[in-house]
Formats: sequence, structure tokens, C-alpha cells
Amino acid sequence: MALEGKLVRLREERPEDQPLFVELRNDLSTQGWNVALPPTYTVGMYVKRLEAMEFSYERDSARFSVEMKASGDLAGYITYSDLQERIGATVGIAMARPFWGTGAALDAQETLLGFLFCELGLRVVHLWSHSGNPRALGLAEKSGFAITGRVREGMYKNGRLLDTIVMSLLREDYFRRHPDLEDILPSPLQSA
Amino acid sequence: MVRTGRLATDRIVLRAFESTDLEALRAYLNEASMIGRRYIPWKIRDLAPLTVKQTEGVLDAWAEEKKGFTLAIALQETGELVGHAGCNWHWDAHCPGIDLAISPAHQRRGVGAEVAKLLLAYLFENTPAHNVSSWTSDWNEAAMGFARSLGFTESGRIPRCGIRDGRFVEDVIFDMLRPEWEAIREGEDAHGA
Repeated sequence: MALEGKLVRLREERPEDQPLFVELRNDLSTQGWNVALPPTYTVGMYVKRLEAMEFSYERDSARFSVEMKASGDLAGYITYSDLQERIGATVGIAMARPFWGTGAALDAQETLLGFLFCELGLRVVHLWSHSGNPRALGLAEKSGFAITGRVREGMYKNGRLLDTIVMSLLREDYFRRHPDLEDILPSPLQSA
Repeated sequence: MVRTGRLATDRIVLRAFESTDLEALRAYLNEASMIGRRYIPWKIRDLAPLTVKQTEGVLDAWAEEKKGFTLAIALQETGELVGHAGCNWHWDAHCPGIDLAISPAHQRRGVGAEVAKLLLAYLFENTPAHNVSSWTSDWNEAAMGFARSLGFTESGRIPRCGIRDGRFVEDVIFDMLRPEWEAIREGEDAHGA
């Protein structure tokens, strides 16, 4: 069963999703990491990557396709990676331009956070961005992420030196923002 | 100036690991005080003593590094293995990272500082590095003091990167920009360091 949000559903990725994912990867405004350059990925590469995935109960990452509930349109993808079981993970998102400003990205982010905190029982979720991407930073802040660290001038992009930024959302802050949810997971820390 | 292929001081040399280093490496990695700060490949859990096979896995992983290197720190006089150190630019050669681990028997003798200065000089003189970072944990006061003493700036903390002794661990990011390193180097040269 897919993860259901208000506007979007997060489901497994499919071969037919790959052309949009390639488009997002090859768009310098929707990806910014030097390690991913040059922007010459092909659908064939992406289909092979998908087909190479094997069944496992030891997965420490996932990529969900973001599908609009009303139309069924594919809007982008959202991921988590570097999973530390029951402790933390790092999320990332890329949305196609027609869906910017529609609330779909925030809904996808909130839906994934609900999964990470309420199903995987994480204590923190991180994300990495950079100082030249106020849209991404603003989206994260809407879900309660706060900047916790940076690598000064750690990026060179579009002719500019930018700070690499890490943002984090603590479990208790997530639940504070969602008073309809009750956090009954016992703390892993020693009681005072 | 660090000449390409020569990372050494009068006291220590950074050299390639050999299979004959296995037992000495395993011995210091398994000392209790090293747990959590061994700087071994992240896929190998840094929580428990390592078997011989796991230690071989550490050496194999280091040998396979493509964007960076991890070298043995050996004493010039005796050849004794006293730690390991390395740098990597997996993400971007613009902002590489360094890390080092010194055997407990050889800590607090200045070896770490000599190694760190060699690595910084190597990166800033032989690669396009603009920002060099080094990560440690908030419980490791000695490592944080060490980073500050070298001129690194604390640029952030990442909460809840693990659990240790009943509390969450924060990763602490230190970094140094090329102009900062140049200023430090000029200051050392002016004082004949």
C-alpha cells in the first residue's frame, strides 16, 4: 500500500517513471551536487538502476515516486538514505516545475516524515542543501527542520561559492507540530 | 611544501599499509578507548572489537579508495605503526575531508598535529581543495580541542548520529578555508615553526 498524503501518494518507483527522474537529474536547478555532474543521464541508465534493485530486508534507503492523488500525474520523487535503524535518516526531494508552489512538495515531505517517525521510529531526520537554494530551505523549515550545521563555501555552483547546509528535525519537534499524534515510543536514553 | 609522494616529518612517515600491519592495526583499533573514534570505513560498525577478518576488510576497503587515501602512520626511528590517517574527496574535490586516529600509547605527544599539518598542506598544495573539513563527536573533547588548536572552525553540529553511554551523540563539523590555512602557514613561517 502506498503512503497516502492529502494531495499526493508516495509509491514504489516504476519503469515508466524514469523519464521524469532523468529530466529532474539533468536539470541543474533541481539538483546541485557536483558529484552528480555532468547532466547527461539517460533513461536507459535509470531503468538499469531500477532493475538492478534486488529483494532485501536490509535496505537502508528508499526512493518513492510522488504521484498526485487527484490526477495520477507523476510529480517527482522523494528519498531517504543513510538509515540508522531507529535513530535517523537523511531525506531528499526533487519535484517537477509544474508542481512547484502547489503544496505537493510539502505534502510529500510531511507524508514521508510521518512514515519515518511513526513507522520506522526514528529520533531525527536530516537533509542536506545549500545556501543558494532558498526554496529547498524554506520547504524544510515549513516542516520544522532547523539548520544545525554547514560547510562554509563547501559548494561551487553556477559560478558562486555557497555554504553546504545540513538541517535536522528532532522527533519531539515533529510530534509537537502534530498534536493529533501521540508519541508512545519509549526513549532509548537512560532515565534520569 | 609537501612534495608529492612524500608525507613525512623528522619523526613520522605516512606510508602505505601492508598486510604485515594487520595485527598491530587490529591491536590499537580494539583498545576500548578507540571505540567510536577509529575512523574506519563506515560500512564496518564502529561499536565492537574487530576480528582478524574484519580488520582485513578494513585494509581492503582502504586499499580500494578511489577518491582519497588512508595511510599508516609509522615512526621514522623504529618503523612502529602508531596510527592511520587519510583524506578523501568522495563528494567533491572542492571540499575534501581529513581524519586520523592515533594509537592510545602514542597520543598526546604531538604526532596527531604533525600528521594533520601534513594532510592540510598536501590538500592545499596538491589538490583544488578550498575547504577542508574534519568531523568528530561531541563526547570527544580531546578531538574537538585538537581541531581548534590546529585552526579549524566549528561550523555545525548534527544531532543524534548515534547513542553512546546513555545519551545521543552529536557529530561536530570543523572546517578550514584555504585563506585561513594560508594565514596560519604564514604565521608559522614568521615564527620559524
